[in-house]
Amino acid sequence: MRHLECFVAVAEESHFGRAAERLGMAQPPLSQRVQRLERHLGVRLFERTSRQVTITKAGTLLLDEARELLARSEALLATARRIRDGESGLLRAALPPDVAGETVAALLADFQQQHAGVELELRELTTTQQLAQLAAHDLDVGLIHHPCDVTGLELGPVLRREVGVLLPRGAPAAALPEVPLTALTGYDLVLFHRSAAPALHDDLLTTCARDGYTPTAVRHGQGASFVRGLILSSHAVAFSPKDAHPVHPPGTDPDIVWRPLAGAPLAWRHSVAWPKGRGDTAVSTFAAAVTRALRDTAALTADAPPRPLHLRPTAEYWL
Amino acid sequence: MTTTPIRLQEAFAEAGVTGRLHAVDIDTGAEVGVGADQPVVTASVHKLCVLVTLHEQAAAGRLDLTEQVECPPGDRTSGPTGLSAMLDPVRMSLRDAAYLMMAVSDNTAAELLLARVGLDAVNATTARLGLGRTRAVHSFREMFASMREDAGPGGAQALTDPYVIARLRALDPARTNHSTPRDMTRLLGAVWRDEACTPEHGLAMRRVLGLQVWPHRLAAGFPFDDVHVAGKTGSLPTVRNEVGVVEYPDGGRYAVAVFTRAARTAATLPSADSVIGTAARMAVEALRAP
Repeated sequence: MRHLECFVAVAEESHFGRAAERLGMAQPPLSQRVQRLERHLGVRLFERTSRQVTITKAGTLLLDEARELLARSEALLATARRIRDGESGLLRAALPPDVAGETVAALLADFQQQHAGVELELRELTTTQQLAQLAAHDLDVGLIHHPCDVTGLELGPVLRREVGVLLPRGAPAAALPEVPLTALTGYDLVLFHRSAAPALHDDLLTTCARDGYTPTAVRHGQGASFVRGLILSSHAVAFSPKDAHPVHPPGTDPDIVWRPLAGAPLAWRHSVAWPKGRGDTAVSTFAAAVTRALRDTAALTADAPPRPLHLRPTAEYWL
Repeated sequence: MTTTPIRLQEAFAEAGVTGRLHAVDIDTGAEVGVGADQPVVTASVHKLCVLVTLHEQAAAGRLDLTEQVECPPGDRTSGPTGLSAMLDPVRMSLRDAAYLMMAVSDNTAAELLLARVGLDAVNATTARLGLGRTRAVHSFREMFASMREDAGPGGAQALTDPYVIARLRALDPARTNHSTPRDMTRLLGAVWRDEACTPEHGLAMRRVLGLQVWPHRLAAGFPFDDVHVAGKTGSLPTVRNEVGVVEYPDGGRYAVAVFTRAARTAATLPSADSVIGTAARMAVEALRAP
């Protein structure tokens, strides 16, 4: 494995000195390892001149498989580390704060049943916090909100939690089984603060405007009781997935109702994410358990089919 | 100047992108940056390396820039501009192909020039200029082929799915053409100081860099008629880059390299484009502050 690591590092850096630096070793043993690997495989991997190293055709053909083997070996080491670190092994995992209590409970029960050997250390973290911890390898796996920069991560499929609207019970739109966005005209919107997730914030407002709802004012708030207060007193509405809002069980809040939006234009989109090359069985068990828990408690659906895409010339690519 | 990196980070976050930037005063070497040594995907920014290689070879007498090349319609690299978008046979000089490659990021023109000079020559040129962390591992056509393969049967539409984005080799600096912001400003400095090539060729390269048509990124940050902006963009799904030089009427000239990855997978994101200019101006103003 160490030999393959040397091969991949030299291939990616195209330079023995830099590859040695990256691997934290001296250059002569690195050259020897690559030569030994070449002898073992019976294939020349690099052309060397005094000034540069170039990968051979044969080297290029072997590079992807070498990377795959290394990724598998890293996963094996991660599992071993987990078993070694705790008495029973430890998986450091995170969920965003808006996941319902029932979902968390279902997930924990399911995971322990599937993977009794591994202890699950579950943290409540925002997507921004998760991305930072995943990058620093302080977290093994998390459930993130899209959109976010997924550089350096591997993802599970996108999961869609349909978002509806919370209205004062007396609002005319509350009488409808499904509320079109246009029916919210005239109401203020209570939304999370833009700095928490600028891309999602802008996407929501753009979709609302495109579908005919431009809020008179956008009020920022996130805590359930604060949002509730604004809805009751200030002619405001808020968006919420069905599973996340109830302070009271659905249908029993005397003052506020939840209604689906007509045509399901809005959704929270999630993926389970882990650092590239560090997925192992504990990670995939967690991913499967999250998907099941969300499906059962949050009426999760597969992501919506992609919409037509009109690439403009500034895109610079065309497939 | 000390608060500039924080303000740059804030501007990038506000626009929903992760940004890496390096800006340097071409004459004094004063610099400012965030993530200036992080490996980044170059995408079409690598066409700048092809341009410099082409001129280096012309200066060495290995090719003639007025040499005519044939570009038959059947064998073009995909792309929305220039020869890539044209339907009929074309015959043009190497230097006009270079103009199309730089002005409208023409993928076919770039592929044709890259085939003429060779991938190894491009890497030899960047190595000679001291760009230790810059490397072209495949041609533009090969890069698009890898995207097509990784996108799967869903084609271009699948490229808005984050799950697909995360598995594209073309977006992983370890597996595609890559550089760092600092390497790119070093290259631009060499072109502007006539260290990359003879002054005659330096002038020709600066000319085509100044003819780029896109107004939405670096240039958008400098809404001044008396400021000259020259540059080269690079774009792939979630990737938006531009490297260039900004010249003020008092003679101040600054090489700036900005590389971003957007949170959103949408192809059209004006705010992610314009923050490249906004961040570049913040950096240049920090360098110009007394």
